Amino acid sequence: MELPNLAPALPELLIVASAIILLLIGVFKKENAGGGITALGIIALALTALLVVSGPSERTETFGGMFVVDGFAVFTKLLVLLASAVTLAMSRHWLRAEGLDHPEYPVLVLFATLGMMLMISANNFMSLYLGLELQSLALYVLAASQRDSGRATEAGLKYFVLGSLASGMLLYGASLVYGFSGTTGFDALAKALANEAPVGVTVGMVFILAGLAFKISAAPFHMWAPDVYEGAPTPVTAFFAVAPKIAAFALLLRVLTGPFGSMVEQWSQVIVFISVASMVVGGFAAIVQTNIKRLMAYSSIGHVGYALIGLAAGGPDGVRAVLIYLAIYLAMNAGAFAVILSMRQKERSLENIDDLAGLSKTHPMMALSLAIFMWSMAGIPPFAGFWSKWMVFSAAIDKGMIALSIIGVLTSVVSAFYYLRIIKVMYFDEPGEGLDRSISAPVGLVMGLATLAVLLFNLVPAGLFSSASAAAASLFGG
Amino acid sequence: MAEFFTNLLGQDLGTLVWIVLRILVIVAPLLLGVAYLTYAERKVLGAMQLRKGPNVVGPFGLTQPLADGIKLFFKETIIPTDANKFVFVLAPALTFILALVAWAVIPFFEGGALANVNVGILYLFAISSLGVYGIIMAGWASNSKYAFLGSLRSAAQMVSYEVSIGFVLVAILLCVGSLNLSDVVHAQEKSVWFIVPHLPLFIIFYVSGLAETNRLPFDLPEGESELVAGYMVEYSAMTFALFFLGEYANMILMSGMITTLFLGGWLAPFGLAAPFGLVKLWGLFWFLAKIAVMLFGFLWVRATFPRYRYDQLMRLGWKVFLPFSLFWLVLTAGVLEYTGWMRS
Amino acid sequence: MIEGLVFYLFAAITVASGVMVVSSRNPVYSVLWLILAFFNAAGLFLLLGAEFLAMVLVIVYVGAVAVLFLFVVMLLDINYLRLREGFMQYLPVGALIGLILVVELLMVYGGWKFADDAPLSVASRTPDPTAISNTDALGRLLYTDYAFLFQAAGLVLLVAMVGTIMLTHRTRTGVRKQVIAKQNARTKESSVEIVKVTSGGGI
Repeated sequence: MELPNLAPALPELLIVASAIILLLIGVFKKENAGGGITALGIIALALTALLVVSGPSERTETFGGMFVVDGFAVFTKLLVLLASAVTLAMSRHWLRAEGLDHPEYPVLVLFATLGMMLMISANNFMSLYLGLELQSLALYVLAASQRDSGRATEAGLKYFVLGSLASGMLLYGASLVYGFSGTTGFDALAKALANEAPVGVTVGMVFILAGLAFKISAAPFHMWAPDVYEGAPTPVTAFFAVAPKIAAFALLLRVLTGPFGSMVEQWSQVIVFISVASMVVGGFAAIVQTNIKRLMAYSSIGHVGYALIGLAAGGPDGVRAVLIYLAIYLAMNAGAFAVILSMRQKERSLENIDDLAGLSKTHPMMALSLAIFMWSMAGIPPFAGFWSKWMVFSAAIDKGMIALSIIGVLTSVVSAFYYLRIIKVMYFDEPGEGLDRSISAPVGLVMGLATLAVLLFNLVPAGLFSSASAAAASLFGG
Repeated sequence: MAEFFTNLLGQDLGTLVWIVLRILVIVAPLLLGVAYLTYAERKVLGAMQLRKGPNVVGPFGLTQPLADGIKLFFKETIIPTDANKFVFVLAPALTFILALVAWAVIPFFEGGALANVNVGILYLFAISSLGVYGIIMAGWASNSKYAFLGSLRSAAQMVSYEVSIGFVLVAILLCVGSLNLSDVVHAQEKSVWFIVPHLPLFIIFYVSGLAETNRLPFDLPEGESELVAGYMVEYSAMTFALFFLGEYANMILMSGMITTLFLGGWLAPFGLAAPFGLVKLWGLFWFLAKIAVMLFGFLWVRATFPRYRYDQLMRLGWKVFLPFSLFWLVLTAGVLEYTGWMRS
Repeated sequence: MIEGLVFYLFAAITVASGVMVVSSRNPVYSVLWLILAFFNAAGLFLLLGAEFLAMVLVIVYVGAVAVLFLFVVMLLDINYLRLREGFMQYLPVGALIGLILVVELLMVYGGWKFADDAPLSVASRTPDPTAISNTDALGRLLYTDYAFLFQAAGLVLLVAMVGTIMLTHRTRTGVRKQVIAKQNARTKESSVEIVKVTSGGGI
């Protein structure tokens, strides 16, 4: 009996070890040790990122082919780690103010991150499912972590029930695929399905797609998102909005280009439908929202729709467009949530869009950054969001999906309405009581860095482009 | 013997009859044993409290258990009007049956188990984890506060102590390398009785056994001073008798498990050879003798210790036994890995 | 013959109790039927020669999971009639979805296609049942080929545990707890003070 090669999984092992150690520290300290656990969590994530970068970048499999590391995995893992670290950094001030500064919070974020990394590296439906469950379970708990609040409990419960349903569908699909092909390994599946796929596999694949669409909150599986985003504590919402989506997207890309790579005709219709539905829901339903967290939920549904255009286009170009979209989405959302986390008045957190009235007069810098994020999200040049949309649309047009691109452009015009409305509220409405002056240092830092990233993307896009291209190519055996 | 029946009745029917006969050979003495365990309990308690115990019915009161049995049998079984009748009657029957079926895998002597299955330890563990159902069902079906409180206490208690019993079993399993109970005894034949290297586990298992069987000092589910008689409060006559038989059969079973796991089962101490070549009888004798010693311990504990407080009971299970048995498990695994001791 | 009879007995009871789980009026009965179903499923495992799985099914599902089910169901005061109120209303939709699923499954039943090396990989992983007991065989697979999945499943359970404790544990203030070490550490010197009292003087 010989030990499997552990080297490719070193980053995951580090996260497991640090999460368990932090848990023990938390148990004995019985509190967050003055933010020490959060800080240690961020350090652990940074070290993990280092390990990810220094690890193998060419395709390496281990654990009997269930776990794979390639350029794609490295790229998406870095995005996830960055998103988690940013969330951890931003959350502590808010959590402490609300009396939620439990030591379990950073630990659960670490475990969720671990689940996402396992999802990204999954090369077998069994490892996929376990990674997904690890991530989801941690997220359910985080959503309900404000246990004295009825809304948070409701959010957690709703997320849990619907999430379990989605997991069930995914499992059912995976079992159908297994039953009709005799294997759960992605490589073996790709080989088995290369020539022609039995109908059973197609049905199974649709179930799997439905389960994953739930996880990225794509319409028509998006119903949970607004309620959960609204009810969960704001830092948790910030976490939900970015990291799990990146991981689920990575999973979707790997599953659809890998084992189901030969079934493009079957899945591309589904993806196109989901994409259009998400863009429409994201564009129209957001207009009537008054709560900014709900607004962000619909906005994220819309963004998922745009990113899916890249997937529908398929091929290395499409995947590259999706990866770039996700990276830019990470920057915009992190920044926007940094602002939302700072919306506090007399030590209470505010969530209504109207509370932002006159922000330009009381907090000019904050207003300016939020304005930049909103412009960018609306896809107005020259901000980064414009380029990410441009990438996916051009990938789709190259593949002749003109209609899809046109719908995309139209819905993005609709969504521009509510993004710009926020800017209008900030700059042209009379200020109310005004928000608290103090912004915690990490939140301010994130806000500043995200603003810079969104602004300066035009000047130095080459780095992101080339690494995303390499990552996308690695998915297609390049 | 088996051939005799298969020749007489044909392959299938003959096997069936043979199996049923073997079951009867185990169950009938067991029930007798249960009856006389109650007698022994009263005598031992009497002696420890400077009383005489039962001495009226028959010589030295020896027919007392029979008299008790007959009395219970002829009394009227009262089922409360608000009780859930089906579950109410099912509960004691279940307790009693579970206490009997566990004996299927216990080896009484070399090759002397009804079913020499590969997963004997797991089977015992599974059956003992079911014991809680009889009590929960009784408490719920009685539709009475005391009964329900008693059954809740009991369920929590049994589930808690099962955890450490499980870890004790795993540690033994590591030393044996098989889940077969006969292999457990054979492993002790090759090395030493497991009570020597695993004395702390023996103590944990014994105490957990007291808790599993709801015996003093862990008889809070009955707790007559506060819960009248706990889950049994509404039971009378035969239904009560079944609970009673089940409890005492469980005590004997627990002693049988301890004997097999820690005291070398049918093995004679110091490798004493069987007189007149009666190997099987010699094995059976030692097996029963060890069970008797363990049972005496149960009675002795009852006469000696006061009842535990409930929070202390939980503390003992979760905060003392569980961590310790876990620690011991890791220690055992480490010792086995690095020394190769007890490994074939 | 006996084996065949026993199989049909177990299978029939499993199916029947499964039906009873969903159709009985009293949720406590449902759980009890569920337990019976577990038992018979364990019996079926035994017939297949998977004795380890059979025992683990009983220990885990019957001995632990169903006990908790039973607890919850008994402690909840469930109004059985209210539970059934919407039943007829939702029946058509539910039946329709079920029907569609059945039709779909029948449609896809036609085409089986196995990965080319699937039978090979299955064969190489299944050890000879006569040479090795199935506990051994399972252990060997679980700790070698599937070690990764095994560990990941362990982490899922750890997260579940951390989550449950986080969501339910409350440190109550103002409750006096027994600290046994402290009690045992008390000595006569630390707790009793002998004072000479002069008569009429007080302390």
